[in-house]
Amino acid sequence: GCRPRLRAAVHYTAGCLCQDVAEDKGVQFSKQAVAAIAEITFRQCGTTFGCFLIICRHAKRSTVNSEDVKLLARRSNSLLKYITQKSEELTSNNMEQKEKKKKKSSAAKGRRTSEEQEAPVSESEDSNMA
Amino acid sequence: MDGVRARREARRSGRRSLGDRLRGGPGPGKDNAAARRAPPRQRLAAFPDLDSDTPRALLRRVIRNQPQVSPLAPQIAEHKETEDAQSQPPSRRTSSMGELQLPDLVPEGTSIATFRMTRSRKKLSISEFERAADKRLPQNQAHSTLDSTLARSLHMSLGSVLAPDTVEKRGLFRRPKNRKAIDIAAFEGGVEQNMQRKAQNYLVDLQTASMIEAATLTSDAEIMLNNTELFAQPQSGEQNQKELPALEPQLSESETPVQRSKISNAMQEEGKLVGRVSSVGTEEGRTRRYSEEELINDREHVDSMTHVSQKTSANQGEDEQGHSQQSEPMEQLSDSEEVAGTMEHHTNAGYSEHLEKKLTKKAESQIIVTPEEGGVAEGRVKHQDSPKAEPEMATSVRARSLSRHSHAFSSFEKSGTKPLKEAVEQADELEDRAAMGELDGSEEESTEDEAETEGQESKEGSMKTPMFVRAAAYSPLPLLSTPRPAKPAAQESPLQPRRAKPVPKSSGTSRKKKREPALASSYIKQIFRHYAKMPVARDAYKIVEKCCEKYFKQLSDDLEAYAHHAGRKTVEIADLELLMRRQGLVTDKMPLHVLIERYLPLEYRKLLIPVAVSGNKVIPSKSACLSGRW
Repeated sequence: GCRPRLRAAVHYTAGCLCQDVAEDKGVQFSKQAVAAIAEITFRQCGTTFGCFLIICRHAKRSTVNSEDVKLLARRSNSLLKYITQKSEELTSNNMEQKEKKKKKSSAAKGRRTSEEQEAPVSESEDSNMA
Repeated sequence: MDGVRARREARRSGRRSLGDRLRGGPGPGKDNAAARRAPPRQRLAAFPDLDSDTPRALLRRVIRNQPQVSPLAPQIAEHKETEDAQSQPPSRRTSSMGELQLPDLVPEGTSIATFRMTRSRKKLSISEFERAADKRLPQNQAHSTLDSTLARSLHMSLGSVLAPDTVEKRGLFRRPKNRKAIDIAAFEGGVEQNMQRKAQNYLVDLQTASMIEAATLTSDAEIMLNNTELFAQPQSGEQNQKELPALEPQLSESETPVQRSKISNAMQEEGKLVGRVSSVGTEEGRTRRYSEEELINDREHVDSMTHVSQKTSANQGEDEQGHSQQSEPMEQLSDSEEVAGTMEHHTNAGYSEHLEKKLTKKAESQIIVTPEEGGVAEGRVKHQDSPKAEPEMATSVRARSLSRHSHAFSSFEKSGTKPLKEAVEQADELEDRAAMGELDGSEEESTEDEAETEGQESKEGSMKTPMFVRAAAYSPLPLLSTPRPAKPAAQESPLQPRRAKPVPKSSGTSRKKKREPALASSYIKQIFRHYAKMPVARDAYKIVEKCCEKYFKQLSDDLEAYAHHAGRKTVEIADLELLMRRQGLVTDKMPLHVLIERYLPLEYRKLLIPVAVSGNKVIPSKSACLSGRW
């Protein structure tokens, strides 16, 4: 059902990326190469997702966290750094958004603040864990 | 009249009994009832012919045929029946024998079970039967021929008519039992002699006499132990060459564990160990140098003496601990390893000094350990004992194990099998741990064990000999600890809280240095050589060692991350299972328990896989698991 469509989507995305790289580096990508890249990406996604499940279960959680992502990214140092940076940016953005929303919501509605307070709590947890 | 009636009744009863037996045979039996019924019918057909025979012959035949009908061996019964019907000469012979035995046979004919037993007896006691046959030869020449025939028949087919007769006969004579008694007595006598000899040796002259005699005294078990040590150690070919002449010491080494137990008691009081240790230390230091050229037979002998006991104990203890992050044993092991490690680092001149100091310490610990070692070495211990023994043995073993290593390795190389590698690995791990310190050692053990178990799935061989593994583990410990001090230490420290060394040391100054835990390079060499199956350049070993270090470092980092991810500060089985899953060793199809059962010795399996027994007990006990002591 969805799997072939997903694979097609991945293939298309890989093709687009390869096109960009080809333009930048002036290197050509054969169709087989693009297809190979797409296939590898798809399989790696599946494997990584399985790892996610295992690691999540190991931490006795049912939701995949940025922590789990970082644990899996430990394999390569550069990837780990990149992901850590991105996660920090995300959390900081979330904090900023929470702050803004809090001010707005406190000014506007009380209910929204309470809801948003719950969200910042979870977000702060993420940032702490990050 | 009465006699006639009796005879008629006998005949009738005989036939009835025969018929009953025939019918009863298939009845109680099993699925072969139908098959069995067929032969009984044949027999029934044959029986009318035997009407003319005396009741005695009838009964004899019934008895002979009964086992065939027995549910335990229906096929044999059928076979026997056919033979019975067909072979006249054998029956004649049996009849001749049977006449002699009839009084014996008649009472036995009552129960099928008895015949079954006799039949089984026949199967099992062919050798005994032959012996009995030989005995009978002088008694009765006729029997000799019969025996030969019987033996032949026995060998040919268990279902032969003759076989049960002879078996029964043999069983009646009970000759095999006499033989067994003699064997046991002789064995016990030999064992006692050995023990006495060992005790004497130790008491008289620990250093020289014990060593020499230890070599001579090797018992089978000890030899096995020695072999195990050797196996663990046969990492370096060079060592092996040197150790070839030191085979004897190795043997003595194996004996030493047993002797040690006795000697340790004596030594504790006398303190001879100290003197011995110093002398041994110098030698050990040199051996530790891990320079095969320096190995000297004399030293080896001396070292072997002490090392054997140490190694076996250490190996045993360590092997058992292999997968446990035990602190106590590791501490002691680390202590001894440190000593060993420092010794290696020093030059030969410095070696002896350090060795002496450390040996004294080790001697003290050794004293404690030796009794345990003896127990372990002899009893193929249960891991429960080993944890206690290990700490003590570890320290003492360390000092010795280095020298032992070389010996053990050489000997093991000869045996050269996977089990050895397993043992060596474990031994290495244990040794490394000792060097680093209890924490490091245990951590490294766990990681290295895991890594090794994961990396080398073909460790089935090692499973066969847990003691082997332990002995091997012990022996390489001192040798191995020094080469790889750095890696394990770093990895293990975060995993376990550092503990103050519990082993009391007379000279606390010599243990200040902390050697980095590392796998013994000889250990790695041995394993690599085994799996390479072709000659390997020396430079290659360096690279392999570096790869191993990196691998174990990465491994321990991962384990720490997993433990931290689960919000824990201690690495647990769950973390290791996660690691193995990521490595691809554990899958949905291949659970961890299956791997444990397949590749680990029974002791480890008992530790890792809880087993429920009667009385609402679970082994290992939950409290043991919680306390984190393996």
